[in-house]
Amino acid sequence: MVYRNSFAEIFLYHNLFHHMSNNLKKGGDEAEFAKPLYVPIKRRSFFMYAGATAGATALLLSGCDDDDSGGNGMPGMVDVGTGDIGVLNYAYALEQLEAGFYTELRNGNYYKGLSAGAEKSALDDLYYHEVIHRELFKTALATNAIKALEPDFSGIDFAVRTASAGAAKLGVLDAAKAFEDLGVAAYNGAGKYIADAGYLTLAGKIVSVEARHAALIRDLLSNGTFVGTDVVNTANGLEISKEPSVVAQTANTFLKEGSKINVANIK
Amino acid sequence: MNILKLLADLAATPTDFHQAASRRATIASLGKVGAKTLAAALPLGLAALPAQARDTRTILDSLQLATRLEQLQNALYSRALTAGPGFFPADASFRSSIVKMQAHQQQHVALLTRVITTSNGDVPTLPNYDFTGSKNNTQAALFPNVFSNFDEFLRLAQLLEDTSVRAYKGAVEFLVQDNYILQTALQLHSTEARHAARIRTMRRLRGAVVKPWPSPTDADITVAGKTAVVYATEHATTQLLPAPINTPIQFQLLPIGSGANLLTQSVPEAFDEPLAAADVEALLGLFTY
Repeated sequence: MVYRNSFAEIFLYHNLFHHMSNNLKKGGDEAEFAKPLYVPIKRRSFFMYAGATAGATALLLSGCDDDDSGGNGMPGMVDVGTGDIGVLNYAYALEQLEAGFYTELRNGNYYKGLSAGAEKSALDDLYYHEVIHRELFKTALATNAIKALEPDFSGIDFAVRTASAGAAKLGVLDAAKAFEDLGVAAYNGAGKYIADAGYLTLAGKIVSVEARHAALIRDLLSNGTFVGTDVVNTANGLEISKEPSVVAQTANTFLKEGSKINVANIK
Repeated sequence: MNILKLLADLAATPTDFHQAASRRATIASLGKVGAKTLAAALPLGLAALPAQARDTRTILDSLQLATRLEQLQNALYSRALTAGPGFFPADASFRSSIVKMQAHQQQHVALLTRVITTSNGDVPTLPNYDFTGSKNNTQAALFPNVFSNFDEFLRLAQLLEDTSVRAYKGAVEFLVQDNYILQTALQLHSTEARHAARIRTMRRLRGAVVKPWPSPTDADITVAGKTAVVYATEHATTQLLPAPINTPIQFQLLPIGSGANLLTQSVPEAFDEPLAAADVEALLGLFTY
């Protein structure tokens, strides 16, 4: 593990200087100055007002201080990129995962054995919504899009609704709950990294639908659990948010080698 | 990485001491947004901006409007919870869901109040509410039995929760400058979406034709010229890629399966649309006097 750690440190130092030079370059970008005054001040452009030390804070914001960043940056990972492209690719990766899951679900024995009704129709809807989200990001990203990721759903038993006690694999609704809750927390945590107001609104249009999915799946599992204390803080009524590095650790457990995502450059 | 933490701490040294300190106090009291994540950079960043570049008016407007919506919902649920016997169905999950939602709305009001107060803004004073929509018996009621007929109450609750989701969504573009407030608004937004889905599920369990997300297949519960604003522009059949591209996504050309109603039903369902502040105001006006 000594080997891995030293690699991680080298990577972090490399990143440190990469980020710094990037910030400086962005700060001096003529295009930033050319924008009319009524354009909202973007995250990156206010670093040039706040000065160089704020750039260091940005490094902290991007999670680069984490020594255990879950293997981000290891060879063979898919780098989602930086800036708005990075966040959109990150969202694209998560939507690929969700769409892939519901595609697999509808080929599985649990779904096939379901009789027509509210649950089956909801699972159909969720499939279509997620495929639509996936394709929207792919279209928006065009040539900047990451590749089609290969999911690894070996931890899910597509024949059962929920895992029985002690089972090694998740049932399909257990997994749906995990994916939907993760998606909401991911969008909640990624909004601040989006500079373009239009893309921020687009992400907003999607995240509330994901939250509705999550609430429904929870209610299907246990009526009235739409706002579990694990997802909505009981002290302030805020749903949780998760940083990209945290989300990627979970998402990567559902992605095959060569398809795991590296989100270290989202900042 | 100690060197990074050190640099960040240096960066966090407040230039505008009062502002930075009060913002950090707010974050601490929220206990939600990690101090490491947001506390240091943002007050400093904002404090360092030239005054004319900050649109604090717009951020404050958005927060005040959100507060008024949360106050309205808090009042609706609070009154429902004191309604007469037999108002709630026998299945206890219905009442307990409303209890949870009321608690959240109250917490949201408190949170927004703290944020507005911290910014030296005025917290909206509570207006008079008339949830029947009759404006204190000066016009025909929209929901005459709102606190005696549970289904009527749920219809109004759905309209307000869906409006709330749309209102927060309409506000995020004005919050893009302040990451702390933006993230908080997003966290409020998705909680409201969970509420909206639950109210809709409760209605479905009681026989209404409605999905957890706004769908063109939902039975219409709105009144033209009054509550119709809630779903006006909600069922968009296409999405525009943001400027400068501004082109509609050609969903019909994408590999998104062969559902019979893919473009007319699944695409509108897959996206919740924002609602302009003026439309939110109009809806608020129906239930206040």
